[in-house]
This record gives sequence, C-alpha cells and structure tokens, in this order.
Amino acid sequence: MNSGIISALMIGAAVIGTTAGAQTNGHAGAPVAAVEAGTPAVSARRAARTDSTRTTDSTRVYDTQALRIESSWGSAKIIRGAPGAILGTVGWFRDYDVEKLVESSPQAVADAHKFRTSNFRGSVLTAMGATTALVGIVVTTNSSNNAASPMLILAGAGVMAWGAQHINRGYDALSRSVWWYNRDLTAK
Amino acid sequence: MSRFFLTLWVGVLFGLGGSAVLTAQNGSYDGNALRLEAHNGDVRIIRGVQGTVLGRIGTFRGLDVARLVSSSEKATVEAEKFARDYGPGSWIAAAGLATLGAAVGASQVDGVNRGIALGLTLASTGLIVYGGGRLQSAYNALSRSVWWYNRDLEK
Repeated sequence: MNSGIISALMIGAAVIGTTAGAQTNGHAGAPVAAVEAGTPAVSARRAARTDSTRTTDSTRVYDTQALRIESSWGSAKIIRGAPGAILGTVGWFRDYDVEKLVESSPQAVADAHKFRTSNFRGSVLTAMGATTALVGIVVTTNSSNNAASPMLILAGAGVMAWGAQHINRGYDALSRSVWWYNRDLTAK
Repeated sequence: MSRFFLTLWVGVLFGLGGSAVLTAQNGSYDGNALRLEAHNGDVRIIRGVQGTVLGRIGTFRGLDVARLVSSSEKATVEAEKFARDYGPGSWIAAAGLATLGAAVGASQVDGVNRGIALGLTLASTGLIVYGGGRLQSAYNALSRSVWWYNRDLEK
C-alpha cells in the first residue's frame, strides 16, 4: 500500500472524526478513526463502534437530563432524568422559569413562553370566575329573590371554564416544550 | 492518483454512513416520539412533530397504552401501572361525586337525619380523594411510560 492511499484514508478518517464530534456535542469518546487506520474494514469496524458509543452517550444524556411532567393535586412537577429529581412546580399562580430551563432548545423556549402566558391568564380568569360565582352564591343564600344572583353564578362558571381552557392550553404548550427539549438533547 | 481519490471516497463514505445513522435516529424521535396533550377533558397521546393523534383517554375511556409502547420494556411496565390505576380511579371518583350529590340532596330534604347527610359527605370526600389519588398515580405512570418509550426510541 503506497503512502498516497494511507494519506487518503487519513483524510477520510479525519472527516468521520469531525462529523461525529460535531454531532455528539462533545459527548463522544475519542475521534472515530485515529491516524493508524489501515484498511477500509478497520475503518468500518471503528465507524460501527462509534455509532454504538454515540447511541450509548445519547441514552446516557437522556437518562440524566431528559424532562417529564408529573401532576400533584392541581400542580405539575417538572422532573429530570431517570432518578426523578424535582426541578420545580408549576400550577395555579405558581410559576417556574421553564424558559430558562429549556433555553438550549429554541422551539422549547417558544412553547415555554406560551405556557407562561396561558398559565397566568388562566390563573387570573379562574380566580375572577370563582370570585364572581362565590359572590353569586352568597347573594342567592341571603336574598333568594335577587334576579342577578343566578346570572353571577353562571357568569362566574363561564369565566372559570374559559380560564380552565387557558390553563389546559398552557399545559399542552409545556408538554410540547418538554418534548422539544428532550428531542434536542438527543439530537445534538 | 485515481486510487488516491477512490480511497478518499471510501473514507468519506464511512463518515457519511455515521451521519446517516444519526439522521435516522433524529428522524426517529421527530417521527415517533410521543407526548401527552389535554383536550376538552380528554388526554390525547400524540406522535411526532406532525402531531398525529394516536388515541384519547377520557372519562371511563382507557386506551391500550401497553400495546402502544410495547417496544420498550420499562414503558410497558409503567403503562400497566396506568391501566391498573386508571379504571378503578375513574369509577371511585365518579362514585364519590354521586355520593356528594346524594349528600347535597339529603341535606335539602326535611326530616332526614343530619347524620346521614354528614356520613354521605364524609364518604364522598373519601371516595373523591382516593379516586383522585389513583387517577393521579395513573397519569403519572402514563407520563413515565411515554418518557421511557421516547428514551428507548434512541436505540
């Protein structure tokens, strides 16, 4: 084998190493094919080994970093990794900086922003609705002939339902945000 | 010189082979990873970027999640936990709400022992809290199931 072939293999190997290194975000082990790559068969074996290493690294990253949401009596806990570390809780008038948490993924940040907006709107609307309905109930209890009281209860219930819709929409956005974040964790 | 280019081409192809696998893995997440979204009281299981709705879980309406996530062992275990808790949770919470209705009704009727209304109220509270707890455990198991399923997609 002449030196030209060896040089060509070295350049090819360097290309593989650069590609793998860039796509695994620094989690991969040693660059794929080192200088001593001798034959295409060896290169293939090394490439296969690198893929397997990359998959293992990707799984490890997912195991330690990937997020999920679990509910807890009206609130939602943001949980990280297989051990289940609780990072924060979101809920009715309960905020957590999800945008900062998922800042590494632009699409996740956009959905986290939607979550924050919808959750706040939903919290305000349900609070207003509940107050209106409560006033209606109190008025009904004290003076049952007042025609305004059923209207207050109905209006309150309507506003609460509207608020609940916003909260729902917020949680959907949170779910999508976590989905994008986990996607970009493993794609890098 | 032509042998040089041929060998260079072989080396580059190995490199591209590695990238193709990564793209496929990424595509696998984009196309197959699951998430949960709520819609009018139902929970929908949605697949991929395009958002295909695979099924709905609503009041008294379950879904064979274990079959859906059967490619991942841990996801299946969690899906079975979901199935174990969801049905009983729904029925117990519904029974609690019905008992609460009965308690309200009993308290409005003259001549009914106040102890009965109180007993019904306590029973309904217990049923709602217990049923709600089972439902919450079910949904949390579902969330973990989806998490494990998406994790094992990467393999």
